[in-house]
This record gives sequence, structure tokens and C-alpha cells, in this order.
Amino acid sequence: MSAVTLPARQAGSGISAKAVNRIVIYGLLALFALFYLMPLFVMLVTSFKTMDEIQNGNMLALPQAPTIAPWFKAWGETCVGLTCAGIKGYFWNSIKMVVPAVLISTLLGALNGYVLTKWRFRGHTLVFAMMLFACFIPFQSVLLPMATILGSIGRFGATLQNATGFNFGLGNSTVNLVFVHVVYGLGFTTLFFRNYYEAFPTELVKAAQVDGASFFQIFRRIMLPNSMPIFVVTVIYQFTNIWNDFLFASAYAGTGDVMPMTVALNNVVNTSTGVVEYNVNMAAAMIAALPTLIVYVVAGRYFVRGLMAGAVKG
Amino acid sequence: MAFLEIDGLKKRFGNVEILKGIDVELEKGGFLVLVGPSGCGKSTLLNTIAGLENITEGEIRVDGRAINDLHPSKRDIAMVFQSYALYPNMTVAGNIAFGMEMRGVPADERQKAIDKVAKTLQIGHLLNRKPSQLSGGQRQRVAMGRALVRDPKLFLFDEPLSNLDAKLRVDMRIEIKRLHATTGTTIVYVTHDQIEAMTLATKIAVMRDGEVQQFGTPAEIYNNPTNVFVADFMGSPAMNLIPAKIGANGSGLSVVLDREARQPITLSLPGAPAGLAAFKDKPVIFGVRPEALTDPEGAERNGSAIATADCHIEVVEPAGSDTFAVTNLGGKGVVARLRADARIQPGTVTPLAFNLTKAVFFDPATEKRIL
Repeated sequence: MSAVTLPARQAGSGISAKAVNRIVIYGLLALFALFYLMPLFVMLVTSFKTMDEIQNGNMLALPQAPTIAPWFKAWGETCVGLTCAGIKGYFWNSIKMVVPAVLISTLLGALNGYVLTKWRFRGHTLVFAMMLFACFIPFQSVLLPMATILGSIGRFGATLQNATGFNFGLGNSTVNLVFVHVVYGLGFTTLFFRNYYEAFPTELVKAAQVDGASFFQIFRRIMLPNSMPIFVVTVIYQFTNIWNDFLFASAYAGTGDVMPMTVALNNVVNTSTGVVEYNVNMAAAMIAALPTLIVYVVAGRYFVRGLMAGAVKG
Repeated sequence: MAFLEIDGLKKRFGNVEILKGIDVELEKGGFLVLVGPSGCGKSTLLNTIAGLENITEGEIRVDGRAINDLHPSKRDIAMVFQSYALYPNMTVAGNIAFGMEMRGVPADERQKAIDKVAKTLQIGHLLNRKPSQLSGGQRQRVAMGRALVRDPKLFLFDEPLSNLDAKLRVDMRIEIKRLHATTGTTIVYVTHDQIEAMTLATKIAVMRDGEVQQFGTPAEIYNNPTNVFVADFMGSPAMNLIPAKIGANGSGLSVVLDREARQPITLSLPGAPAGLAAFKDKPVIFGVRPEALTDPEGAERNGSAIATADCHIEVVEPAGSDTFAVTNLGGKGVVARLRADARIQPGTVTPLAFNLTKAVFFDPATEKRIL
């Protein structure tokens, strides 16, 4: 927290007024922090309790006999819909979707930003304005058109399958989701990189041209190695968004083995056979939230720094 | 045939003409300085030679070969940028070798070339550092090293010293001059600093509004400016440009300078330029450099046309090596350059010597030199 400086009022009561201000400010901050951390705390302690303890005890109490059995059950045994093999398969589904989607959308965004700032062409502002507009299109309005497009791609994949014996991944649910997230994320990643590269010295590109570097050599050797802050910002932003996405996932991969983690988690919680196993549900939710948490912890420093850099340089 | 030839070069952005027909040439091993105020098109001209900007009309030839349609990397040029443009993610050695790496030069040859350049520029101890760990002068050296290592036909410098502090700038200026003398390379150099232009160049092109105002050796530019702009831009302190009138003095001509509340000064002109006769009884601009207006003891002994006149001194500026005195002639402040130890007091009337062999005259209407 940055220090809040307040003008000292009177010489006599100045110090005590300052102290009171401090107490109020930090008290409020602590309260809000508590408010935000409480659900996480409840999830965490519940996931380590046995069912007996949950049914008879206090929700906020620490587990009396901590057990990691609910985590194992959530990972490997719990029922998602009708199959009872845990959430591990769906976790990998999400990874398989998120990693390519994040990398492709980030690299394409970097390439777009590079072209829009360093290889300007007639109408580049219009192109950028349209890409920016993509950021404001509501998810809901693309659901049905996208479903139609994905259907066509799937039929094309089937045709390819018949003709060549291989569908090149067309029609595969994970590939579909990667495609959707890349398209939807492109506006944001382009915005990030364009603003970063706008402040990037053009003389470096000119020097590299004189040195004989090609379009892609300049991109790979000069632009990308100097883009670490914005790269991290974009990866975190895209990773969080795509990992947490529920709408596209449930619309285009909402059933069967292809479900991503978010949809599977929903089905775990909604499976209505027998007792509701709160500890297993909480453990599953924690597992689902873990990757984004890890990304924040590992790269969070860059995130704050990168956002600042973008803010100052415009 | 000159080594670098620029023929009728024009550059337009839409309807705006940035360069309006540039004709310049430079011999092999020459040092061409493009000088002018900001916005005069000198950097654009340099960028067109480098190939970083396209030209609309005209031709650029290096060593007899037209290069204006070639990619920058195919022109056999090297460029030093104003901001140095060192790649921040690479070491000094990596920066210097990047161009060779892009051209597929084997690693051991690259290393040899790096070592040679590092020795010339005395940057051997910096080779493993990143640009962010270097001082301004060191970055400047590395930027020059990156250009030198390629051994190109033509070196382009875009205001390379403008980011350095005053003392370092003088040191680096001498270093560039020494480098040019020892390596014999051909250089095109952009600056807005007329002292850099005078000290470094073998040829100067003074530019304004996309046109070359005058092209010649530093001495020609300094002593025989073709118009008021060149006369005013080159030299520090600037040339005194005094509104005056031409009068008759027997069979010869004289120049009449008005003064506030005093008799006008009349100086006879024995060796007046032929064109000046047409301006008899008409206004002209009388141009005299501060060093041609001095105390009678300090005036050039062998000058053939020294005229002395009493002047009212308004301000005295001792600058250490010289003393500058400001008087008022023709309604304008006029700077005289005196010896450092000249005894002169502001508010007094002192005789000043005009060296009229160094004086030049301009037509006030066209601002062109009267010859």
C-alpha cells in the first residue's frame, strides 16, 4: 500500500488526528480484505474436513482431523454426470485448450501490434479501431453465429476425413474452443501489444532493417525479446479469461468427455445422487482455481509492473 | 564522376513536398554534412539515402550504381542513429555482430571483426555488457562500432552527438574526425549544429524547407554565403546583417549606416562587387561577421580595406577567449569581436575597425547575395 499523506491540521491535535486516520484507513482495508478472503478460507477448510465434521460443526472452524481424502476423491473418483472417474480428465481438457489458445492469441496479438505500429499501411487506424471494437462485442451475441460456423467447420472436417482419412482436428471440440478463444481474444491481445509497441523506439526497427534483418527476424530477435512485461500481462489476462470461461465451454463442449474444467465442476456440484459431498466439491473447486492462482503468484509481479508501464507510456 | 550522386531528388507525402529537388554529390572519402534548422528535410534526405523512406522522383547513385529502389540491407550502407538504437536485449558484441549474423557470416569471422572494431574504438572491456549498463559516450562508441564493423561503402550519421553533454560532444566530434581521417570512409552526416558542420565537413549542404540553399566547402559557405539565410545560420555569434544604403563616394561607392541620434557612418568601398552599382541610393543588407568588426589594434594588418568609425558601445560580454561588444547600427544590435584584453567600457564611444574585404551585401527584396 502506498502511504497516504494527509495535511496536518493543528499543531496540538495533529498527531492524534493522523493516527485516527490511519486506524480508519487500515481498519477498512482489513475489513475488505477479510470480506474477500472469507469464501476462500471456508472453501479451503471445508475441503480438508470429513463429512461428519461438516454436518455437525461450524463452517468457519478449522478442521479437527485434517484429511486430504476429499482432494483425492475429487481428482480421481467423484462423479461428473454419470461417469465417476473424478475431474482429472477434464482438468487436462482445460489445459489442452488453454495452453494453445493463450499462446496462439498472444503471438498473433504481438504480430498485429508489430504491424500496426512499425509497418503502417493505408487504413491502419481503421483496422485497429475494428479490432478494438471486437473487445466490446458481448459474448452472447456471437454464440449462435459461431455455432453455425463451427458446424460448417465440422462438416468440412468430416469431408476431409472421408477423402483423406484424417480430419486435421476440424470438428474436434477442443480445437473448436481454441479457435473461439483465439478469435475472441485477438482484440484484447492486439490492443495490449499495439499500445506497448507504440512506445517502442522505431529507430531499433530501422537499425535492424539496415542490418539486413527480415520482417520476421526483426519480430523474433528485436521485438519479442523486449516485450516481456506486456507478454506476461497478456498471458495472465488470456489464461485467466479462457480458463474461467463457462459460456463458450458449455455451449460448444458441454457434454461428454470433452468438457473443460469449468463445465465439469458445475456438473460435479449439480450431480444429485445421495448426500452432497461439500468437502469434495470444495476440493474440486480449489483444483479448478489453482492454475490461475499459480499463474498470478508466479507472474503477478510482472502483471502489476506491466500494467503500470502501459499506463504511463499510453 | 562523384562517389555519391543525388540527382533531382523529390519526396512527397500526399500533396506536401518535403524535398523539392535535391542535387548533391560527394567524392570518395568525403564528409558531407547536411545542416539546417529542424523541419528542413535533412533527416528525411538521409533516410532516403538509407532506403528507410521511398523517394518520389530522382535518383541516388553510389559508386555509379543506382540504389534508390534497393532494400536498405542491399545498399551497402551503415547508419548511426540519433538515439543510438542499440538492441537492448543483446550484449555489445551481439549488437556489433547482428548485421553480420543476418548476412550469414561464420561465427569465427564475426569474432575477428568484433575484436578489430573493439580495438579501434577502445570498447574491448565492454563487449559482454548490455546497452543499459553503458554511459552515453560508450553507447555512442558501440553505435559507431556497429556501423564500422560492416566496412560499408557509405556511412550515414543522424545527429549522433545531440544526446551527449557539451564536453563529451566536443570529444566525440574530434574522435569522429580522427576516425574519418584514419579509415578514409565516405560519410553523410546530419546535424543542426553549425559548429559540427564547419569542423567535420569537406562539403556542406545548408538546407531549408526541403531545398539546398547552398552547397560547398566549409570555407565557401562561411565566407561567401549565397543568401541571407545561409549567412545568418552559419557562424557563432551570427553574422551582423545591418540595413544600410549605398551612396556615391567620388567615382567609387560607399555604404551608409544609420545610427540613433548621431551622424550616419559612411564607409567607402574600394573593392565593391560589380552588382552593387545598380543599388546606388537604394537599401541593401550589409553583412559583416563579428570577427571582421574589431578594435583597430586587433584588426588584420594586411587587410586592404580597413575602415574605422567611432561607435557607441552598449553592452560588453567578456567570453574569456574573446570580448564581444554590442553597438547599434541601422537600428539593429551589432556584435563586434575584440581581443580578450581589449579595454572597453559600456556606454563609451570607441573606434571600431570594419574589415570591408570580408563584408558581403544582400538584396533586401530577394535576400540573395549581390555579386
